Amino acid sequence: MSVSRHLRTRVLRAAAVGVALALAGSACAPSTDGGGEDGDGDVTLTVWSWRPEDAEGYERIFAAFEERNPGVTVEFRGYQNSEYPAILQTGLTQSSGGPDVVQLKPFGPIQSFIGAEQLVPLDDEVDLAAWPEEIVAAARGRDDGRLYGVPFAFQTLGVMYNEELFAEHGLEPPTTWQEMTEAAETLRDADVIPFATAGRDPWVLAILRETMGATRAGGGEFAEEVLAGRTDFTDPDYTASLRTVADLEPYLPEDVTAVGYTDAQTLFTSGRAAMYPGGSYELAPFATAAPDLEIGYFDAPPAPDAVVDTPLTPGFADGSYGVNAASPHRAEAVALVEWMATEEFGRAFAEELRQIPAVPGVAPADPLLAEMRGNYEEHGTPYMMSVYFGYGEPLGRDAEGQALADMLLGRSTEEEAGARIQREISAWFEPTG
Amino acid sequence: MVRTDRLSPAGLRAGRAAPPPRRRPARRGGAGHRPPWWVLAVFVLPALALYTVFIVYPLFSALQYSLFGWQGTRQTGLVGLENFRHLFGGIYGERLWRAFGHNLAFFAGTMLVQTTLGLAFAVLLRRARAGRRFLQTAYVLPHLVSPIVVGYLWSLMLSPQFGAVNAVLRAVGLDALAQPWTGDPALALPTLILVNAWQWIGFPMLLFTAALAGLPPEYEEAARVDGASAWRAFWHVTLPLLVPAIGVVSVLTFVGNMNVLDLVYAMQGSQGAPGGSTDVLGLLFYRTAFNNPDPGAIGQASALAVVMFVFVFGISIAATSVLRRWEARLR
Repeated sequence: MSVSRHLRTRVLRAAAVGVALALAGSACAPSTDGGGEDGDGDVTLTVWSWRPEDAEGYERIFAAFEERNPGVTVEFRGYQNSEYPAILQTGLTQSSGGPDVVQLKPFGPIQSFIGAEQLVPLDDEVDLAAWPEEIVAAARGRDDGRLYGVPFAFQTLGVMYNEELFAEHGLEPPTTWQEMTEAAETLRDADVIPFATAGRDPWVLAILRETMGATRAGGGEFAEEVLAGRTDFTDPDYTASLRTVADLEPYLPEDVTAVGYTDAQTLFTSGRAAMYPGGSYELAPFATAAPDLEIGYFDAPPAPDAVVDTPLTPGFADGSYGVNAASPHRAEAVALVEWMATEEFGRAFAEELRQIPAVPGVAPADPLLAEMRGNYEEHGTPYMMSVYFGYGEPLGRDAEGQALADMLLGRSTEEEAGARIQREISAWFEPTG
Repeated sequence: MVRTDRLSPAGLRAGRAAPPPRRRPARRGGAGHRPPWWVLAVFVLPALALYTVFIVYPLFSALQYSLFGWQGTRQTGLVGLENFRHLFGGIYGERLWRAFGHNLAFFAGTMLVQTTLGLAFAVLLRRARAGRRFLQTAYVLPHLVSPIVVGYLWSLMLSPQFGAVNAVLRAVGLDALAQPWTGDPALALPTLILVNAWQWIGFPMLLFTAALAGLPPEYEEAARVDGASAWRAFWHVTLPLLVPAIGVVSVLTFVGNMNVLDLVYAMQGSQGAPGGSTDVLGLLFYRTAFNNPDPGAIGQASALAVVMFVFVFGISIAATSVLRRWEARLR
C-alpha cells in the first residue's frame, strides 16, 4: 500500500509541476508585449510592412515624426512580401501585441479587413480631397466607399532599357512600334535578348500586356466600358492587344514560360537582355543588384492599329497605410497616418526610398522616377487589372496572365484567350451598367 | 508497421498463418495490481491534450468554418453548404478537378519512379559489399533539405537561360534533349515528379531495407537451390513477402503527394505554371486562403480543406483495408 501511495504522490507532484509550467508559459506570452507602453507613459507604435528592404529608410523618415511627437517611438517591422498577407491576417486578429499601423495592399486585398471591421475609417481624420481619385480608390471600401488608408506609393509601367547596350548597338529609345521591333531585331541578331520578362508568373505577363498593349485596347476608356457593361474581354480591340503582346514572342527570352520573375530581373541586370517592360518598383532592386547599370526609360509606343495613337503610361497606387482597429494607441496611430498625407512625409519618402510618393505635388528625387511620374501626369491610364479587376478570385491579372501564357505556348488563339478571361473574371465581377 | 514477423517458416509451409505468439504472463508490479484509472489518465492526458489541441480541434473547427459565411475574419452566420457549392461550381469546380487530376498523376508518377527505384536500391544495396553505408546516406541526404530549397535549386539547374542541365546536354551534343523542362505543359509535371523523387527516394528505400532485413534469407536461397533465377526468386518469393511494406509506402506516398505544396510553389509559382498545368490541390488551397480578395475566403478555404481531408482520408482508409486483405491472402 505504501508503494501505491508513493506512486500517487509522485504522479500528483509531476502533474502539479506540469500545470505550473503550463501556467507560467501562458503567463509569459503576453508579458513580452506590454501594449507598447513603458514606464513614462511613452508610446511605441509598431508599423508592419511587406518591404523589409525599406527598414533603414523608414527609420530616418519616422525620425521627423518622432521629433514632432515627443514620447512616441515608431518601430518599423518588415515581413517577406509573399508571407505578408497571411501574417497581416493573423496580426489584425490578435487582441494584443499586433501592429498599430499596417501597410495595406491596394484595391482588392484590403476589402476583407474592412468587412471584418479591423481597420479604422479615416474619412473624418484625414483629408485627401486634393488627391486623384484613382489613387485614393486603392484604400476605399468597395461596398461602403469609406477611406481606410493613406496611399503611400505610386507605380507606373513602361520599358526600362540598358543604355550601354543601346549605345553599343547604335540604338535610340524608339518612338514608334516599328522602331521598337527593329531595335529588337538588331539586338536579337547580336545575341542579346531584346525583352526580359517572366512567362512563368502570370502577374508579370499581365504587366507586359498592360505596358505593351494598353494603347491597342484603348487604355482606361476600355476599362470603363467593361465596368459599365457596354463591352467585355471578348472585345476585338482587347483580344487584339493580347495578340500584339503574344507576337513579341520572338523577342522574349527562349522558353519564356519557364522563366521566373527573378530570372527575368537577372537577365536584365546581368546585361543579357536589353529591355525590361515593367514597373517603376523595379528600379530599386535593379540598383541593388547592378549599381553600375545605366538604365533609361521610355513609354511603349502605340501598338499597330492602336485605339489610342499616342503613348500611354499605365499607373496604380501601390498600397496604403491604415490603422489597426484593435490598436491600444489609436489616437497616436491615426496621427501617424495623418502625417503620412503631408508633404513633409512625401518629401522624406521621395528622398529616402527609391519610389514615387503618392502625396500630390511631391516629385521623386530620382530623375528616372520623376520622368515616369511626369509621363503619367501627361498621358496616364489606370493599370486596369489592378485598379478595377482585382476584387475577386481569380484576380484579373492572373486570369489574363494565364491566358497569355497559353497563347505564348501556342495552345490558344486570342479569341479563346479573351473568352477565357471573360469567363474567369465574371465568376465574381458584375458590370454596374 | 511491417508485419513480416508473423510469417514463420512453419506457417508458410502449411499455407496458413502461424499461431499467434504466446501471451507472456502480465508483468507484476511492486504493488501487485494495475494502477487505478486516474493514474493511467494522468499519464495519457498530456499526449491526449496535445493531440486534441493540434489535430482534433483544427479538424472540427475547419468543418465548422466551412459551414459559415465570413467577412474577413468575422463569422457572419450559418450558410449550410454554400461554400461547398462555390467550390464545386463553375470555373472553381473545373480548377478543383483539374488540380485533383494533377495530384493523382503526381502520385502515379511517384509510385512508378520513386517507389520502384527505392525498392531497387534497397534490394541492390542489400547485396552490396562495399560502400553500402555511404550510398544509403547519400540517397537519404536530400531528405534533410527543405522542399522549398530543393525546388529553388532545381529551378536554377533547369532554367533555360542559366541552368546547368541544358548547358551540360548541349555541351555533350544532346541539343535535342535540352528542353524547357519547367516551361512546357507536357514536361512540367513529369519534371516535378522526378525532382520530388530525387528528394524523397531515400524514404521508401529505408522502409524496404528494413523490411528486407526482416525476411529470413532461407526462402530465397531455397528457391535458388531449386533452380530459380535471381529475378524469379525475387519476383515470386521476395516481392510477395514485401507486400505489407509496399502497402505502407503506397499509403504514405499517397498522403504526401495529395498534400504536396512547397516544391510545386517553389518551382512553378502559386498559379502552377505554365498555364495551370502543374496546379495541385495544395496550390489551390494556398490561393483560396491567402491570395483571395473575397471576404468569404476563410469559408471557401475551409471547405476546400475539408474536401481534401475527405479525399485523402477516405482513399487512405479504403487502400489500407484492401491491402490488409491482400496481406491476409498471402499468409
